[in-house]
Amino acid sequence: MHAAFPLPDVDWPPTRELFAGAARGELRVTRCNLCATLVWYPSTPCRTCGAERQEWVTVSGRGTLFSWSVVRFPWIPQFKSIVPFVTGLVALEEDPRVRLVSRIVDCPIDDLRCDMPLEVDFRPLRFDGVDGEVVVPLFRPERR
Amino acid sequence: MTGTDWGFASDLDDVSGQIAIVGVGDADHSKASGRTTYEIAGQAAERALADAGLTARDVDGLMYVPFSGDQMDAKAFHAHFGTSHDLWTSDRGGGMVWAGSAPYDAALAIRSGKAKYVLNTFSVAWATQRPQMVGGPGHVHAEDLYKQNLEVPFGWFPQPVYFANMATRHMHEYGTTSEQLGAIAVACRRHANLTPGAVMKDKLLTLEQYLASPLVADPFRKEDCCLISDGGAAYVMTSLERARDLKQPIIAVLGVGVGNAKSGVYWSQQGDFTATPQQFAAPRSFAMAGVKPDDVDVLACYDPFTIVSLMQIEDMGFCAKGDGGKFVSGDTLHFDSGKLPYNTHGGMLSHAYVLGIAHVTEIVRQLRGEAAAQVNNAAIGVYGGYTGPQASTLVLGRR
Ligand SMILES: [Zn+2]
Repeated sequence: MHAAFPLPDVDWPPTRELFAGAARGELRVTRCNLCATLVWYPSTPCRTCGAERQEWVTVSGRGTLFSWSVVRFPWIPQFKSIVPFVTGLVALEEDPRVRLVSRIVDCPIDDLRCDMPLEVDFRPLRFDGVDGEVVVPLFRPERR
Repeated sequence: MTGTDWGFASDLDDVSGQIAIVGVGDADHSKASGRTTYEIAGQAAERALADAGLTARDVDGLMYVPFSGDQMDAKAFHAHFGTSHDLWTSDRGGGMVWAGSAPYDAALAIRSGKAKYVLNTFSVAWATQRPQMVGGPGHVHAEDLYKQNLEVPFGWFPQPVYFANMATRHMHEYGTTSEQLGAIAVACRRHANLTPGAVMKDKLLTLEQYLASPLVADPFRKEDCCLISDGGAAYVMTSLERARDLKQPIIAVLGVGVGNAKSGVYWSQQGDFTATPQQFAAPRSFAMAGVKPDDVDVLACYDPFTIVSLMQIEDMGFCAKGDGGKFVSGDTLHFDSGKLPYNTHGGMLSHAYVLGIAHVTEIVRQLRGEAAAQVNNAAIGVYGGYTGPQASTLVLGRR
């Protein structure tokens, strides 16, 4: 486990561009070089054609809430100061088969619904007792 | 996305009716006990061999799983029993999915003459190890770099959270309710209350108590989640011919199936998020056994969470996909319901979290007619194993 766990390791090559993009305000995912379907997780073989080469592309940041849970019990000590929080899967507008794991913010728990429209919001992630912060893509209800 | 392109069945030879499970043994199941996995596996193995009327010298095949801490490999077996003879060994045994698929690999070894009596063991000491935060069920997931960078920072960790998400989506797609998940927890607890040695033997649970208990990760309550235990179990397999000379009634291996999810351990990307690879495993196993879901008298599935029970029951064909919630409500899963007696020892929710190996020993006892919460005249029993990336279906039958 790297020192800043449970913050992401922004230097780990397969996911480095996700966090670099977030710091610039862009939602970045990988696209298959061969068949052009979006591939997630990055650097895993394309599940459409099996190809292994991908390039990073910028997507709209819009999607829908595929599923979620309100985490009330701190399963690891670093979560103690943030419970309760909402963690879930966001199906991307460009290809809903791609589900980003994220936290849902600015939404009352009673308003959470599967398939509700969401939009990305880039915010710094911090944990008690862990040095530093990392800007990550979080999601909030879409403001129409 | 639904459909079937998110996974596939493994191609297995027909091994139906070739081997039998001739001895079963459970170690003592407990909360933190200070025991090691070697001690636990040794006790389970001693009991399984005594049950079969065999000695350690008779064992010439040994199955275990190479992870989940220190499992009983050849060195540990000989150290425990003071033996030194040659052993055929396989690391495709143990608990979880392998508690259901080990009989397949054992059958291949037995019919090709590599071994005569094959012992499969699995043990955990996670309750004892918990204070050090090592070796437990979340640990292996936290070490995966994709999970470390794409899941854990967002609080999508550990397993209760993945499966709570599945339950949320299952509720959305199919109308499944908390009362229905609770019916599973209540049935399992009632069975544990009847089962000597179950960790939750003396703790009652009603549906009202379930619904009144606090949420830990919506829609899960504590009672939707498995225990953390010390314990283990073992079983001995041999050919049907040799089984006839042993003391126990013959419980034959009638079918084995293995299913796989292409998304592996990344549940977030599983094509059909509210399904298990039982969709691929169960039809193959039932076909090998020549049985239908309707023929099954008693079922035990690897049950880390209530929703995993519900999804496997659907995916194995005991009801239509999506109807699991309605199907499990009421007394359906109770041992005396005459419907689908399920996890009749209490499962991992209420018996012990020993990762499915004790499910298999329970099914064998049910088919012998010697279980604590005994199903009337059980002749066909099924174990559903699960890891996420894989599922297995083991059909056993009284001969
Ligand atoms: Zn491709």
